[in-house]
Amino acid sequence: MSVADAARGADRLRRRAPGLGLSRRGEGILLLAPLVLFLILLLGFPFLANLYYSLSKVTFATIRAPQWLGLQNYAAALADPAFWQAMGFSLRFALIAAGAEVLLGLLLALALEPLIARRRFLLAFLLLPMMISPALMGVMYRLNLNEFVGLIPQYLTFLGLYPNLLGPGWVMTTVVTIEILQWTPFAFLIMLTALQAIPGELLEAARIDGGSWWQRHRYVLLPLLVPALVVTAFIRFIDSFRVFDHIYVLTGGGPGTLTTSVSIHIYKSFFQQELLGQAGAASMILLVLSMGLLWLAMRFVLRGARG
Amino acid sequence: MSAPRWQVLLLDGGRWLLLVVVALVLNFPVLATLLTSLKTTADISASPPVWLFEPTLEHYRTVLTDPSLDFKRYLVNSTAIALGGTALALALSFPAAYAIVRCRIGGRSVLPLVTNLRAIPLIIFAIPFYLMYQLFGLLDTRTGLALIACIVNLPLALILFVGFLQDLPVELEEAARVDGAGTLSVLRYVVLPLAQPIFLAIAILSFIYAWNEFLFGLILTTKAAVPVTVGATFFITSWGVKWGATAAAMVLSVLPPLLLGLFAYRYLGRVISAGALKG
Repeated sequence: MSVADAARGADRLRRRAPGLGLSRRGEGILLLAPLVLFLILLLGFPFLANLYYSLSKVTFATIRAPQWLGLQNYAAALADPAFWQAMGFSLRFALIAAGAEVLLGLLLALALEPLIARRRFLLAFLLLPMMISPALMGVMYRLNLNEFVGLIPQYLTFLGLYPNLLGPGWVMTTVVTIEILQWTPFAFLIMLTALQAIPGELLEAARIDGGSWWQRHRYVLLPLLVPALVVTAFIRFIDSFRVFDHIYVLTGGGPGTLTTSVSIHIYKSFFQQELLGQAGAASMILLVLSMGLLWLAMRFVLRGARG
Repeated sequence: MSAPRWQVLLLDGGRWLLLVVVALVLNFPVLATLLTSLKTTADISASPPVWLFEPTLEHYRTVLTDPSLDFKRYLVNSTAIALGGTALALALSFPAAYAIVRCRIGGRSVLPLVTNLRAIPLIIFAIPFYLMYQLFGLLDTRTGLALIACIVNLPLALILFVGFLQDLPVELEEAARVDGAGTLSVLRYVVLPLAQPIFLAIAILSFIYAWNEFLFGLILTTKAAVPVTVGATFFITSWGVKWGATAAAMVLSVLPPLLLGLFAYRYLGRVISAGALKG
Protein backbone atom coordinates (compact mmCIF):
# COMPACT_ATOMS: atom_id res chain seq x y z
CA MET A 1 0.00 0.00 0.00
CA SER A 2 1.50 3.31 -1.05
CA VAL A 3 1.54 6.49 0.99
CA ALA A 4 -1.08 7.96 -1.31
CA ASP A 5 -3.35 4.95 -0.72
CA ALA A 6 -2.93 5.30 3.02
CA ALA A 7 -3.74 8.97 2.90
CA ARG A 8 -6.81 8.31 0.79
CA GLY A 9 -7.91 5.57 3.15
CA ALA A 10 -7.44 7.81 6.14
CA ASP A 11 -9.35 10.53 4.37
CA ARG A 12 -12.29 8.23 3.72
CA LEU A 13 -12.30 7.03 7.31
CA ARG A 14 -12.12 10.55 8.59
CA ARG A 15 -15.36 11.29 6.85
CA ARG A 16 -17.12 8.11 7.88
CA ALA A 17 -15.66 6.42 10.94
CA PRO A 18 -16.76 2.79 11.25
CA GLY A 19 -16.88 2.81 15.06
CA LEU A 20 -20.14 4.58 15.73
CA GLY A 21 -21.51 4.70 12.23
CA LEU A 22 -21.45 8.48 12.46
CA SER A 23 -19.75 11.14 10.40
CA ARG A 24 -16.66 12.79 11.82
CA ARG A 25 -18.75 15.83 12.56
CA GLY A 26 -21.34 13.79 14.37
CA GLU A 27 -18.67 12.23 16.55
CA GLY A 28 -17.28 15.67 17.28
CA ILE A 29 -20.69 16.81 18.45
CA LEU A 30 -20.96 13.77 20.73
CA LEU A 31 -17.54 14.42 22.24
CA LEU A 32 -18.27 18.08 22.76
CA ALA A 33 -21.80 17.58 24.08
CA PRO A 34 -20.98 16.87 27.76
CA LEU A 35 -18.98 20.09 28.06
CA VAL A 36 -21.63 22.17 26.30
CA LEU A 37 -24.40 20.66 28.42
CA PHE A 38 -22.40 21.37 31.57
CA LEU A 39 -21.85 24.97 30.51
CA ILE A 40 -25.51 25.55 29.72
CA LEU A 41 -26.67 24.08 33.02
CA LEU A 42 -24.05 25.64 35.26
CA LEU A 43 -23.44 28.96 33.56
CA GLY A 44 -26.46 29.59 31.37
CA PHE A 45 -29.05 29.05 34.06
CA PRO A 46 -27.36 31.18 36.75
CA PHE A 47 -26.77 33.89 34.19
CA LEU A 48 -30.48 34.08 33.39
CA ALA A 49 -31.41 33.89 37.06
CA ASN A 50 -29.05 36.75 37.84
CA LEU A 51 -30.41 38.79 34.96
CA TYR A 52 -33.94 38.30 36.24
CA TYR A 53 -33.05 39.15 39.84
CA SER A 54 -31.17 42.25 38.74
CA LEU A 55 -34.41 43.47 37.19
CA SER A 56 -36.48 42.67 40.28
CA LYS A 57 -37.26 43.90 43.73
CA VAL A 58 -36.10 41.10 46.00
CA THR A 59 -34.77 40.37 49.50
CA PHE A 60 -33.66 37.14 51.18
CA ALA A 61 -37.20 36.85 52.56
CA THR A 62 -38.83 37.10 49.12
CA ILE A 63 -36.12 35.23 47.25
CA ARG A 64 -38.62 32.78 45.74
CA ALA A 65 -41.05 35.53 44.72
CA PRO A 66 -39.17 38.46 43.18
CA GLN A 67 -41.22 41.40 41.92
CA TRP A 68 -40.51 42.88 38.48
CA LEU A 69 -38.87 46.28 38.76
CA GLY A 70 -37.21 47.13 35.46
CA LEU A 71 -33.95 49.00 35.29
CA GLN A 72 -34.11 50.70 38.69
CA ASN A 73 -31.42 48.46 40.19
CA TYR A 74 -29.07 49.35 37.37
CA ALA A 75 -29.67 53.05 37.90
CA ALA A 76 -29.08 52.63 41.63
CA ALA A 77 -25.87 50.62 41.10
CA LEU A 78 -24.50 53.16 38.62
CA ALA A 79 -25.37 56.08 40.90
CA ASP A 80 -23.76 54.43 43.92
CA PRO A 81 -20.48 56.22 44.72
CA ALA A 82 -19.29 53.13 46.64
CA PHE A 83 -19.39 51.10 43.41
CA TRP A 84 -17.16 53.58 41.58
CA GLN A 85 -14.88 53.90 44.58
CA ALA A 86 -14.44 50.14 44.55
CA MET A 87 -13.81 50.18 40.78
CA GLY A 88 -11.16 52.83 41.37
CA PHE A 89 -9.51 50.74 44.06
CA SER A 90 -9.46 47.60 41.90
CA LEU A 91 -8.07 49.53 38.94
CA ARG A 92 -5.28 51.12 40.97
CA PHE A 93 -4.52 47.89 42.77
CA ALA A 94 -4.32 45.89 39.54
CA LEU A 95 -2.22 48.46 37.66
CA ILE A 96 0.36 48.82 40.43
CA ALA A 97 0.54 45.08 41.11
CA ALA A 98 0.76 44.01 37.45
CA GLY A 99 3.35 46.69 36.65
CA ALA A 100 5.56 45.84 39.61
CA GLU A 101 5.26 42.08 39.06
CA VAL A 102 6.26 42.28 35.40
CA LEU A 103 9.19 44.60 36.14
CA LEU A 104 10.47 42.52 39.06
CA GLY A 105 9.86 39.27 37.17
CA LEU A 106 11.86 40.54 34.19
CA LEU A 107 14.78 41.74 36.30
CA LEU A 108 14.87 38.52 38.31
CA ALA A 109 14.74 36.39 35.17
CA LEU A 110 17.63 38.33 33.62
CA ALA A 111 19.70 38.11 36.80
CA LEU A 112 19.02 34.48 37.71
CA GLU A 113 18.68 32.79 34.31
CA PRO A 114 22.36 31.67 34.11
CA LEU A 115 22.12 30.11 37.57
CA ILE A 116 18.81 28.34 36.94
CA ALA A 117 19.92 27.10 33.51
CA ARG A 118 22.56 25.05 35.35
CA ARG A 119 20.55 24.12 38.43
CA ARG A 120 16.93 23.74 37.43
CA PHE A 121 15.74 22.64 40.90
CA LEU A 122 16.36 26.15 42.26
CA LEU A 123 13.30 27.22 40.28
CA ALA A 124 11.09 25.22 42.66
CA PHE A 125 11.83 27.52 45.62
CA LEU A 126 10.90 30.62 43.65
CA LEU A 127 7.63 29.12 42.35
CA LEU A 128 6.31 28.01 45.76
CA PRO A 129 4.33 31.19 46.60
CA MET A 130 2.15 30.58 43.53
CA MET A 131 0.98 27.27 44.97
CA ILE A 132 -0.42 28.86 48.12
CA SER A 133 -4.07 29.83 48.40
CA PRO A 134 -4.34 33.66 48.48
CA ALA A 135 -6.86 33.30 51.30
CA LEU A 136 -4.44 31.28 53.41
CA MET A 137 -1.72 33.76 52.47
CA GLY A 138 -3.97 36.44 53.95
CA VAL A 139 -4.48 34.47 57.17
CA MET A 140 -0.73 33.91 57.48
CA TYR A 141 -0.07 37.62 57.08
CA ARG A 142 -2.75 38.31 59.62
CA LEU A 143 -0.75 36.16 62.00
CA ASN A 144 2.60 37.63 61.03
CA LEU A 145 1.33 41.22 61.14
CA ASN A 146 -0.40 40.85 64.51
CA GLU A 147 0.86 43.52 66.91
CA PHE A 148 1.43 41.08 69.76
CA VAL A 149 2.66 37.85 68.21
CA GLY A 150 3.49 38.74 64.58
CA LEU A 151 7.12 38.50 63.56
CA ILE A 152 6.95 41.58 61.31
CA PRO A 153 5.85 44.10 64.01
CA GLN A 154 8.17 42.42 66.52
CA TYR A 155 11.17 43.09 64.30
CA LEU A 156 10.02 46.57 63.38
CA THR A 157 9.64 47.37 67.09
CA PHE A 158 13.13 46.02 67.60
CA LEU A 159 14.32 48.56 65.02
CA GLY A 160 12.40 51.32 66.76
CA LEU A 161 9.63 51.50 64.14
CA TYR A 162 5.95 51.35 65.05
CA PRO A 163 3.95 51.61 61.81
CA ASN A 164 0.41 50.23 61.91
CA LEU A 165 0.64 48.30 58.65
CA LEU A 166 -3.13 47.67 58.58
CA GLY A 167 -4.01 51.27 59.54
CA PRO A 168 -5.32 53.83 57.04
CA GLY A 169 -1.87 55.16 56.17
CA TRP A 170 -0.29 51.83 55.28
CA VAL A 171 -3.06 49.39 54.39
CA MET A 172 -3.01 49.97 50.61
CA THR A 173 0.76 49.47 50.52
CA THR A 174 0.40 46.32 52.61
CA VAL A 175 -2.24 44.60 50.48
CA VAL A 176 -0.49 45.52 47.21
CA THR A 177 2.85 44.30 48.55
CA ILE A 178 1.33 40.95 49.51
CA GLU A 179 -0.13 40.58 46.01
CA ILE A 180 3.21 41.46 44.41
CA LEU A 181 5.17 39.06 46.62
CA GLN A 182 2.80 36.23 45.80
CA TRP A 183 2.61 36.71 42.03
CA THR A 184 6.02 38.02 40.99
CA PRO A 185 6.99 34.34 40.66
CA PHE A 186 4.39 33.98 37.89
CA ALA A 187 5.87 36.89 35.91
CA PHE A 188 9.34 35.55 36.63
CA LEU A 189 8.41 32.11 35.27
CA ILE A 190 6.95 33.45 32.02
CA MET A 191 9.91 35.80 31.53
CA LEU A 192 12.33 32.97 32.19
CA THR A 193 10.56 30.72 29.67
CA ALA A 194 10.56 33.49 27.07
CA LEU A 195 14.21 34.26 27.77
CA GLN A 196 15.27 30.64 27.38
CA ALA A 197 13.41 30.39 24.08
CA ILE A 198 15.63 33.08 22.55
CA PRO A 199 18.45 31.46 20.59
CA GLY A 200 21.87 32.17 22.15
CA GLU A 201 23.39 32.91 18.73
CA LEU A 202 21.46 36.18 18.53
CA LEU A 203 23.16 37.60 21.62
CA GLU A 204 26.46 36.10 20.56
CA ALA A 205 26.20 37.86 17.19
CA ALA A 206 25.43 41.16 18.91
CA ARG A 207 28.43 40.67 21.17
CA ILE A 208 30.74 39.95 18.22
CA ASP A 209 29.44 43.07 16.50
CA GLY A 210 30.72 44.97 19.51
CA GLY A 211 27.42 45.68 21.28
CA SER A 212 27.77 46.67 24.93
CA TRP A 213 25.86 44.88 27.70
CA TRP A 214 23.22 47.62 27.69
CA GLN A 215 22.88 47.67 23.88
CA ARG A 216 22.54 43.90 23.71
CA HIS A 217 19.76 43.91 26.26
CA ARG A 218 18.00 47.03 25.07
CA TYR A 219 18.04 46.42 21.31
CA VAL A 220 18.22 42.64 20.97
CA LEU A 221 16.67 41.04 24.03
CA LEU A 222 13.96 43.49 25.05
CA PRO A 223 12.14 43.63 21.67
CA LEU A 224 12.02 39.82 21.66
CA LEU A 225 10.54 39.78 25.16
CA VAL A 226 7.82 42.37 24.50
CA PRO A 227 5.10 39.85 23.51
CA ALA A 228 5.63 37.84 26.70
CA LEU A 229 5.75 41.04 28.75
CA VAL A 230 2.42 42.23 27.36
CA VAL A 231 0.69 38.87 27.84
CA THR A 232 1.98 38.56 31.41
CA ALA A 233 0.96 42.09 32.33
CA PHE A 234 -2.51 41.47 30.88
CA ILE A 235 -3.02 38.17 32.73
CA ARG A 236 -1.83 39.68 36.00
CA PHE A 237 -4.01 42.75 35.51
CA ILE A 238 -7.26 40.84 35.04
CA ASP A 239 -6.39 38.52 37.90
CA SER A 240 -5.58 41.35 40.29
CA PHE A 241 -8.58 43.40 39.20
CA ARG A 242 -10.95 40.80 40.62
CA VAL A 243 -8.99 40.48 43.88
CA PHE A 244 -11.00 39.22 46.83
CA ASP A 245 -9.38 36.52 48.94
CA HIS A 246 -6.39 37.92 50.78
CA ILE A 247 -7.85 41.40 51.23
CA TYR A 248 -11.13 40.05 52.56
CA VAL A 249 -9.34 37.84 55.06
CA LEU A 250 -6.86 40.52 56.10
CA THR A 251 -8.91 43.71 56.27
CA GLY A 252 -12.48 42.81 55.28
CA GLY A 253 -12.28 45.74 52.87
CA GLY A 254 -11.44 48.25 55.58
CA PRO A 255 -10.54 50.28 57.49
CA GLY A 256 -13.72 51.99 56.33
CA THR A 257 -13.85 51.16 52.64
CA LEU A 258 -10.19 51.88 51.94
CA THR A 259 -9.43 48.42 50.57
CA THR A 260 -12.85 47.49 49.20
CA SER A 261 -12.32 46.00 45.73
CA VAL A 262 -15.19 45.55 43.25
CA SER A 263 -15.50 41.90 44.23
CA ILE A 264 -15.67 42.76 47.93
CA HIS A 265 -18.16 45.56 47.23
CA ILE A 266 -20.55 43.27 45.37
CA TYR A 267 -20.15 40.53 47.97
CA LYS A 268 -20.97 42.94 50.78
CA SER A 269 -23.95 44.55 49.11
CA PHE A 270 -25.44 41.10 48.52
CA PHE A 271 -24.68 39.20 51.69
CA GLN A 272 -24.35 41.94 54.28
CA GLN A 273 -26.53 44.82 53.09
CA GLU A 274 -29.04 42.47 51.43
CA LEU A 275 -29.27 44.66 48.33
CA LEU A 276 -29.83 41.55 46.23
CA GLY A 277 -31.15 43.21 43.10
CA GLN A 278 -28.64 46.04 43.14
CA ALA A 279 -25.71 43.67 43.73
CA GLY A 280 -26.95 41.56 40.81
CA ALA A 281 -27.13 44.66 38.64
CA ALA A 282 -23.61 45.70 39.71
CA SER A 283 -22.29 42.27 38.77
CA MET A 284 -23.97 42.47 35.34
CA ILE A 285 -22.37 45.88 34.78
CA LEU A 286 -19.02 44.43 35.77
CA LEU A 287 -19.55 41.53 33.36
CA VAL A 288 -20.26 43.88 30.46
CA LEU A 289 -17.27 46.06 31.34
CA SER A 290 -14.88 43.11 31.56
CA MET A 291 -16.14 41.57 28.32
CA GLY A 292 -15.64 44.92 26.63
CA LEU A 293 -12.14 45.23 28.02
CA LEU A 294 -11.35 41.68 26.99
CA TRP A 295 -12.60 42.30 23.47
CA LEU A 296 -10.49 45.44 23.15
CA ALA A 297 -7.45 43.62 24.52
CA MET A 298 -7.89 40.68 22.13
CA ARG A 299 -8.39 42.97 19.21
CA PHE A 300 -5.56 45.39 19.73
CA VAL A 301 -3.03 44.60 22.40
CA LEU A 302 -2.62 40.84 22.38
CA ARG A 303 -2.89 40.38 18.64
CA GLY A 304 -0.35 43.14 18.08
CA ALA A 305 1.96 41.64 20.66
CA ARG A 306 1.90 38.27 18.97
CA GLY A 307 2.63 39.83 15.60
CA MET B 1 36.51 37.01 24.77
CA SER B 2 35.78 35.62 28.20
CA ALA B 3 35.81 37.58 31.43
CA PRO B 4 38.55 36.94 34.00
CA ARG B 5 37.92 34.09 36.39
CA TRP B 6 37.51 36.21 39.50
CA GLN B 7 34.86 38.27 37.73
CA VAL B 8 32.86 35.15 36.83
CA LEU B 9 33.06 33.92 40.42
CA LEU B 10 31.96 37.28 41.80
CA LEU B 11 29.02 37.45 39.42
CA ASP B 12 28.03 33.91 40.31
CA GLY B 13 28.26 34.67 44.01
CA GLY B 14 26.04 37.69 43.51
CA ARG B 15 23.45 35.54 41.75
CA TRP B 16 23.43 33.00 44.56
CA LEU B 17 23.04 35.75 47.13
CA LEU B 18 20.15 37.31 45.20
CA LEU B 19 18.45 33.94 44.82
CA VAL B 20 18.68 33.14 48.52
CA VAL B 21 17.41 36.56 49.57
CA VAL B 22 14.53 36.52 47.07
CA ALA B 23 13.54 32.96 48.02
CA LEU B 24 13.53 33.92 51.71
CA VAL B 25 11.46 37.06 51.16
CA LEU B 26 8.94 35.31 48.89
CA ASN B 27 8.53 32.38 51.23
CA PHE B 28 8.64 34.45 54.41
CA PRO B 29 4.93 34.05 55.35
CA VAL B 30 5.16 30.26 55.27
CA LEU B 31 8.52 30.12 57.04
CA ALA B 32 7.41 32.53 59.77
CA THR B 33 4.16 30.61 60.25
CA LEU B 34 6.08 27.33 60.44
CA LEU B 35 8.35 28.79 63.14
CA THR B 36 5.37 30.09 65.11
CA SER B 37 3.61 26.74 64.91
CA LEU B 38 6.59 25.01 66.53
CA LYS B 39 6.96 27.46 69.44
CA THR B 40 5.33 27.10 72.83
CA THR B 41 2.60 29.62 73.60
CA ALA B 42 5.01 31.52 75.87
CA ASP B 43 7.71 31.70 73.18
CA ILE B 44 5.23 32.95 70.57
CA SER B 45 4.58 36.23 72.37
CA ALA B 46 8.15 36.70 73.64
CA SER B 47 9.60 40.10 72.78
CA PRO B 48 12.15 40.45 71.31
CA PRO B 49 11.36 37.29 69.31
CA VAL B 50 13.32 34.21 70.29
CA TRP B 51 15.39 32.51 67.62
CA LEU B 52 16.52 29.50 69.57
CA PHE B 53 13.66 27.60 71.12
CA GLU B 54 12.74 24.06 71.85
CA PRO B 55 10.33 22.99 69.11
CA THR B 56 7.04 21.49 70.21
CA LEU B 57 4.33 19.66 68.31
CA GLU B 58 1.60 20.44 70.86
CA HIS B 59 -0.22 22.84 68.53
CA TYR B 60 -0.42 20.19 65.82
CA ARG B 61 -1.80 17.76 68.35
CA THR B 62 -4.42 20.32 69.42
CA VAL B 63 -5.49 21.07 65.85
CA LEU B 64 -5.86 17.43 64.88
CA THR B 65 -7.44 16.06 68.05
CA ASP B 66 -9.42 18.85 69.76
CA PRO B 67 -13.07 17.90 69.22
CA SER B 68 -14.17 21.56 69.40
CA LEU B 69 -12.23 22.23 66.21
CA ASP B 70 -13.52 20.77 62.97
CA PHE B 71 -10.15 20.96 61.28
CA LYS B 72 -9.89 17.36 60.14
CA ARG B 73 -13.24 17.65 58.43
CA TYR B 74 -12.05 20.74 56.53
CA LEU B 75 -9.06 18.79 55.26
CA VAL B 76 -11.25 15.89 54.14
CA ASN B 77 -13.71 18.29 52.48
CA SER B 78 -10.99 20.09 50.56
CA THR B 79 -9.49 16.81 49.39
CA ALA B 80 -12.83 15.44 48.20
CA ILE B 81 -13.80 18.70 46.49
CA ALA B 82 -10.45 19.10 44.74
CA LEU B 83 -10.35 15.47 43.57
CA GLY B 84 -13.95 15.53 42.32
CA GLY B 85 -13.60 18.87 40.57
CA THR B 86 -10.34 17.85 38.94
CA ALA B 87 -11.71 14.53 37.68
CA LEU B 88 -14.78 16.22 36.23
CA ALA B 89 -12.75 18.98 34.55
CA LEU B 90 -10.46 16.40 32.92
CA ALA B 91 -13.37 14.21 31.81
CA LEU B 92 -15.19 17.13 30.20
CA SER B 93 -12.28 18.97 28.64
CA PHE B 94 -10.27 16.14 27.09
CA PRO B 95 -12.94 14.80 24.67
CA ALA B 96 -14.03 18.37 23.95
CA ALA B 97 -10.47 19.36 23.07
CA TYR B 98 -10.26 16.37 20.72
CA ALA B 99 -13.49 17.41 19.02
CA ILE B 100 -12.24 20.98 18.66
CA VAL B 101 -8.86 20.05 17.19
CA ARG B 102 -9.56 16.92 15.13
CA CYS B 103 -13.23 17.26 14.23
CA ARG B 104 -12.95 21.03 13.80
CA ILE B 105 -16.09 21.76 15.72
CA GLY B 106 -16.65 24.37 18.42
CA GLY B 107 -13.29 26.01 17.85
CA ARG B 108 -14.95 29.34 17.19
CA SER B 109 -17.72 29.12 19.76
CA VAL B 110 -17.03 26.84 22.73
CA LEU B 111 -13.28 27.42 22.92
CA PRO B 112 -13.36 31.23 23.14
CA LEU B 113 -16.33 31.08 25.50
CA VAL B 114 -14.50 28.83 27.93
CA THR B 115 -11.15 30.61 27.68
CA ASN B 116 -12.82 33.97 28.30
CA LEU B 117 -14.23 32.56 31.53
CA ARG B 118 -10.73 32.91 32.92
CA ALA B 119 -10.81 36.67 32.52
CA ILE B 120 -14.19 37.29 34.13
CA PRO B 121 -14.37 38.38 37.78
CA LEU B 122 -15.69 35.28 39.58
CA ILE B 123 -17.87 37.40 41.86
CA ILE B 124 -20.26 37.72 38.92
CA PHE B 125 -21.13 34.03 39.34
CA ALA B 126 -21.22 34.11 43.12
CA ILE B 127 -24.72 35.54 43.41
CA PRO B 128 -26.41 33.42 40.74
CA PHE B 129 -24.78 30.30 42.13
CA TYR B 130 -26.03 31.11 45.58
CA LEU B 131 -29.55 31.48 44.18
CA MET B 132 -29.32 28.32 42.07
CA TYR B 133 -27.79 26.18 44.82
CA GLN B 134 -30.45 27.32 47.21
CA LEU B 135 -33.09 26.24 44.73
CA PHE B 136 -31.56 22.79 44.15
CA GLY B 137 -30.42 22.06 47.70
CA LEU B 138 -26.74 22.16 46.78
CA LEU B 139 -25.80 24.75 49.40
CA ASP B 140 -23.18 23.46 51.85
CA THR B 141 -22.50 20.26 49.90
CA ARG B 142 -19.20 18.93 48.60
CA THR B 143 -20.85 18.14 45.27
CA GLY B 144 -21.77 21.78 44.90
CA LEU B 145 -18.23 22.95 45.51
CA ALA B 146 -16.74 20.24 43.29
CA LEU B 147 -18.85 21.61 40.42
CA ILE B 148 -17.37 25.04 41.11
CA ALA B 149 -13.86 23.61 41.22
CA CYS B 150 -14.56 22.10 37.81
CA ILE B 151 -15.70 25.44 36.36
CA VAL B 152 -12.64 27.18 37.77
CA ASN B 153 -10.34 24.64 36.12
CA LEU B 154 -12.08 24.11 32.78
CA PRO B 155 -10.48 27.06 30.93
CA LEU B 156 -6.88 26.11 31.63
CA ALA B 157 -7.51 22.38 31.07
CA LEU B 158 -9.18 23.03 27.72
CA ILE B 159 -6.48 25.45 26.53
CA LEU B 160 -3.71 23.04 27.49
CA PHE B 161 -5.38 19.97 25.92
CA VAL B 162 -6.09 21.89 22.72
CA GLY B 163 -2.48 23.07 22.59
CA PHE B 164 -1.24 19.52 23.17
CA LEU B 165 -3.44 18.00 20.46
CA GLN B 166 -2.49 20.69 17.94
CA ASP B 167 1.17 19.76 18.42
CA LEU B 168 0.47 16.02 18.19
CA PRO B 169 1.15 14.63 14.69
CA VAL B 170 -2.08 13.35 13.20
CA GLU B 171 -0.32 10.51 11.28
CA LEU B 172 -0.36 8.16 14.28
CA GLU B 173 -4.10 8.39 14.58
CA GLU B 174 -4.59 7.98 10.85
CA ALA B 175 -2.52 4.83 10.84
CA ALA B 176 -4.80 3.40 13.52
CA ARG B 177 -7.86 4.46 11.56
CA VAL B 178 -6.58 2.74 8.44
CA ASP B 179 -6.33 -0.37 10.57
CA GLY B 180 -10.04 0.00 11.24
CA ALA B 181 -10.09 1.74 14.63
CA GLY B 182 -13.00 4.07 15.40
CA THR B 183 -12.69 7.42 17.11
CA LEU B 184 -13.25 6.03 20.58
CA SER B 185 -10.53 3.38 20.13
CA VAL B 186 -8.20 6.01 18.68
CA LEU B 187 -8.79 8.18 21.73
CA ARG B 188 -8.38 5.29 24.15
CA TYR B 189 -5.41 3.46 22.62
CA VAL B 190 -3.49 6.10 20.66
CA VAL B 191 -4.09 9.58 22.05
CA LEU B 192 -4.59 8.84 25.74
CA PRO B 193 -1.27 7.03 26.30
CA LEU B 194 0.57 9.86 24.56
CA ALA B 195 -1.31 12.42 26.62
CA GLN B 196 -0.33 10.92 29.98
CA PRO B 197 2.27 13.56 30.94
CA ILE B 198 -0.02 16.48 30.12
CA PHE B 199 -2.91 14.71 31.87
CA LEU B 200 -0.85 14.44 35.02
CA ALA B 201 0.33 18.05 34.85
CA ILE B 202 -3.19 19.38 34.34
CA ALA B 203 -4.52 17.15 37.10
CA ILE B 204 -1.94 18.42 39.60
CA LEU B 205 -2.48 22.04 38.65
CA SER B 206 -6.27 21.64 38.85
CA PHE B 207 -6.00 20.01 42.24
CA ILE B 208 -3.92 22.93 43.53
CA TYR B 209 -6.28 25.57 42.13
CA ALA B 210 -9.32 23.74 43.47
CA TRP B 211 -7.72 23.36 46.88
CA ASN B 212 -6.93 27.08 46.97
CA GLU B 213 -10.41 28.30 46.00
CA PHE B 214 -11.95 30.60 48.63
CA LEU B 215 -14.73 32.87 47.36
CA PHE B 216 -17.30 30.17 46.56
CA GLY B 217 -16.40 28.19 49.64
CA LEU B 218 -17.17 31.29 51.68
CA ILE B 219 -20.49 31.94 49.97
CA LEU B 220 -21.82 28.44 49.44
CA THR B 221 -20.87 26.58 52.62
CA THR B 222 -21.71 27.05 56.27
CA LYS B 223 -20.74 23.90 58.14
CA ALA B 224 -20.80 20.45 56.55
CA ALA B 225 -18.79 21.16 53.38
CA VAL B 226 -16.44 23.92 54.60
CA PRO B 227 -13.04 23.67 52.85
CA VAL B 228 -9.74 24.50 54.63
CA THR B 229 -9.38 27.92 53.02
CA VAL B 230 -12.62 29.01 54.67
CA GLY B 231 -12.16 26.96 57.82
CA ALA B 232 -8.80 28.64 58.38
CA THR B 233 -10.48 32.01 58.76
CA PHE B 234 -12.67 30.64 61.56
CA PHE B 235 -9.55 30.24 63.68
CA ILE B 236 -8.94 33.98 63.60
CA THR B 237 -12.44 35.37 63.83
CA SER B 238 -13.52 33.15 66.70
CA TRP B 239 -13.25 34.57 70.19
CA GLY B 240 -9.90 34.10 71.94
CA VAL B 241 -7.40 33.46 69.18
CA LYS B 242 -5.03 30.58 69.73
CA TRP B 243 -2.07 31.70 67.65
CA GLY B 244 -0.07 28.50 67.94
CA ALA B 245 -3.00 26.35 66.85
CA THR B 246 -3.83 28.78 64.04
CA ALA B 247 -0.25 28.62 62.78
CA ALA B 248 -0.26 24.82 62.89
CA ALA B 249 -3.56 24.73 61.00
CA MET B 250 -2.12 27.10 58.36
CA VAL B 251 0.94 24.93 57.86
CA LEU B 252 -1.20 21.80 57.45
CA SER B 253 -3.53 23.62 55.02
CA VAL B 254 -0.81 24.86 52.68
CA LEU B 255 1.20 21.65 52.84
CA PRO B 256 -0.61 19.56 50.16
CA PRO B 257 -0.34 22.17 47.37
CA LEU B 258 3.20 23.08 48.44
CA LEU B 259 4.39 19.48 48.32
CA LEU B 260 2.73 18.92 44.95
CA GLY B 261 4.35 22.10 43.68
CA LEU B 262 7.74 21.13 45.02
CA PHE B 263 7.71 17.69 43.40
CA ALA B 264 6.05 18.66 40.14
CA TYR B 265 7.59 22.09 39.57
CA ARG B 266 9.06 21.09 36.19
CA TYR B 267 5.71 19.93 34.85
CA LEU B 268 3.84 22.81 36.42
CA GLY B 269 6.30 25.45 35.24
CA ARG B 270 5.89 24.17 31.72
CA VAL B 271 2.08 24.05 31.72
CA ILE B 272 1.68 27.37 33.51
CA SER B 273 3.82 29.17 30.96
CA ALA B 274 2.19 27.27 28.08
CA GLY B 275 -1.24 28.20 29.44
CA ALA B 276 -0.23 31.85 29.65
CA LEU B 277 1.41 32.13 26.26
CA LYS B 278 -1.18 30.10 24.33
CA GLY B 279 -4.33 31.34 26.03
